[in-house]
Amino acid sequence: MENRNRWSNLYLALVFIVLYAPIFYLMYYSFNSGGTMHEFEGFTLDYYREVVQDTRLIIIVINTLVIALLSSAIATIIAVIGALAIQHVRSRRAKNTLLSLNNVLIVSPDVIIGASFLILFTIAGVKLGFSSVLLSHIAFSVPIAVLMILPHLEEMSPTLTDAARDLGATRRDVLTKVILPVIRPGIFSGFFMALTYSLDDFAVTFFVTGNGYSTLSVEIYSRARQGVSLSINALSTLIFLFTVLLVVGYYFLTAKKAKKPSAERTAEAGVPR
Amino acid sequence: MKQLVNAFLAVMIAAFALMYLGAWMNKSEGYSGGNTLTIYNWGDYIDPELLTQFQKETGITVIYQTFDSNEAMLTKIEQGGTNFDLVVPSDYAIAKMKEENLLLQLDHSKLPNLSHIDPRFMSLSFDEGNRYSVPYFWGTVGIIYNPELTHGLTFKSWNDLWDSRLKNNILLLDGAREVMGMALNSLHYSLNDTSEEHLQGALKKLNALSPNVKAIVGDEIKMLLANEEAAVGLVWSGDAAEIMDENDKLDYVVPEEGSNVWADNLVIPRSAANVEGAYKFINFMLRPEVAAQNAEYVGYSTPNKDALALLPEDISGDERFYPPKAITDKLEVYDNLGKRMLAHYNELFLKFKMNND
Repeated sequence: MENRNRWSNLYLALVFIVLYAPIFYLMYYSFNSGGTMHEFEGFTLDYYREVVQDTRLIIIVINTLVIALLSSAIATIIAVIGALAIQHVRSRRAKNTLLSLNNVLIVSPDVIIGASFLILFTIAGVKLGFSSVLLSHIAFSVPIAVLMILPHLEEMSPTLTDAARDLGATRRDVLTKVILPVIRPGIFSGFFMALTYSLDDFAVTFFVTGNGYSTLSVEIYSRARQGVSLSINALSTLIFLFTVLLVVGYYFLTAKKAKKPSAERTAEAGVPR
Repeated sequence: MKQLVNAFLAVMIAAFALMYLGAWMNKSEGYSGGNTLTIYNWGDYIDPELLTQFQKETGITVIYQTFDSNEAMLTKIEQGGTNFDLVVPSDYAIAKMKEENLLLQLDHSKLPNLSHIDPRFMSLSFDEGNRYSVPYFWGTVGIIYNPELTHGLTFKSWNDLWDSRLKNNILLLDGAREVMGMALNSLHYSLNDTSEEHLQGALKKLNALSPNVKAIVGDEIKMLLANEEAAVGLVWSGDAAEIMDENDKLDYVVPEEGSNVWADNLVIPRSAANVEGAYKFINFMLRPEVAAQNAEYVGYSTPNKDALALLPEDISGDERFYPPKAITDKLEVYDNLGKRMLAHYNELFLKFKMNND
């Protein structure tokens, strides 16, 4: 037993090394004064300075964050309503159809979704830029969030709402005091899932950016074709550290709550899977 | 419920604070004012200092957006919904944009500096009389090689690539026109040849090259060659300049049978919002000292003959990148062969690629 444990730990360590090595490799060279990724010549912070001085790049980072936060928040709200609606459908057949339609949107290729958004927006006369990017990000995040929320709704015992109603709760009370608190972990994981999807989406965003508005993935891609400058390494390092900070912060928040018995259920969920 | 509402509010506050910050930065940089010029160019294809200089001179703020292929750029422009004021497509893309009526006809009286352009690069087949486009940079397709690894071969002719000593040592760039063109040229045909017999001959010749081909790759060809992963590469001259910048052992040559000459050009799309600004910018870029500074930064060949005179001798005298007229006369521009013939080229190239695995 002991032995088996050691092997599995070793395996896990290996997996983590493989996953993280490229990131650390990239971070290492962001300090290279040689300007290339093959030979390390000396330590420099020039590329970090370059990133901080490149206002256009910073504006793009801000754009990316704004889009990610707004689109995932709005998408989560829509997804909650959608999940409730799907849950309410009594006919099994209609429910399955709705779910399949939801899943089709998740598995269909991003390129196709992006191209169709481009066509839709230009026909509708939406100018490419902030609004087109936001709308498309909301659209592709909703199905994902629905998928994260629905299982929690299914798990919820129907007796819970019945009991609440028997005790005189209005429909609104049932929703805000019973259903939403029960599915809260699903809502959070849906939100975080949507957030990560929005942050790193390239294919869809590529089609709908325009008029000087761009997001990070699109910008890095077009710069990379000319050979990646180390300032991109520096920027990636900063973003990676920022993400680590967020995850650590989130961990401590949930860990603190886990100590309170009332919040036991929320603790084990919530983290995006 | 309260927790959900709080979390939602926190997210919204963060988003709007960031949005405000972004808007403030846009404003302080002048990106959101009315007096802007949106340029759509290849990544890293202009000296950023020139943008600042232009802004100082005219008060127009430049918003610079980049694309990575003519096809991507075409999709955006064709669909509309954007208003780029100035775009930098390559030759065949211009022919296509002209056909689809996406370009604004240029008023040459607003571009007095056009006189600095070498007549060799004016009125090329994709735009007779330069009614829609102004030359920006140009270059060739040729062979880059590492003399230490090529057993004394110097690549005067395309046929040197078929030498058996180069077994598994050649990298090709992944372009149907470039690779098919090379094969056609090696058989002394035009690289715009459409005769089926000649094309099949070219494919046969390419298949004979297979043992020598190590890989057919995209932009990573630059890195691979600079790192000496292969002895020889078929590349654009601009890429060659970059590779040689990183690894000065390598040398570049345009074979004597002739090759392709390509040109990237400034055009104003029909959907442009600031046409006056676009004219001002083109005229600015045509100024000899500006063109010279830009050519030095980007490393491609400038078509501006008066700028050439301002460049240091080791750049302007480099016959690899500024070949004499005797060679440029042999070079051909890619004609727009039409959809069907282009598809046929692609198909033949695909056959070669599949055969190559």
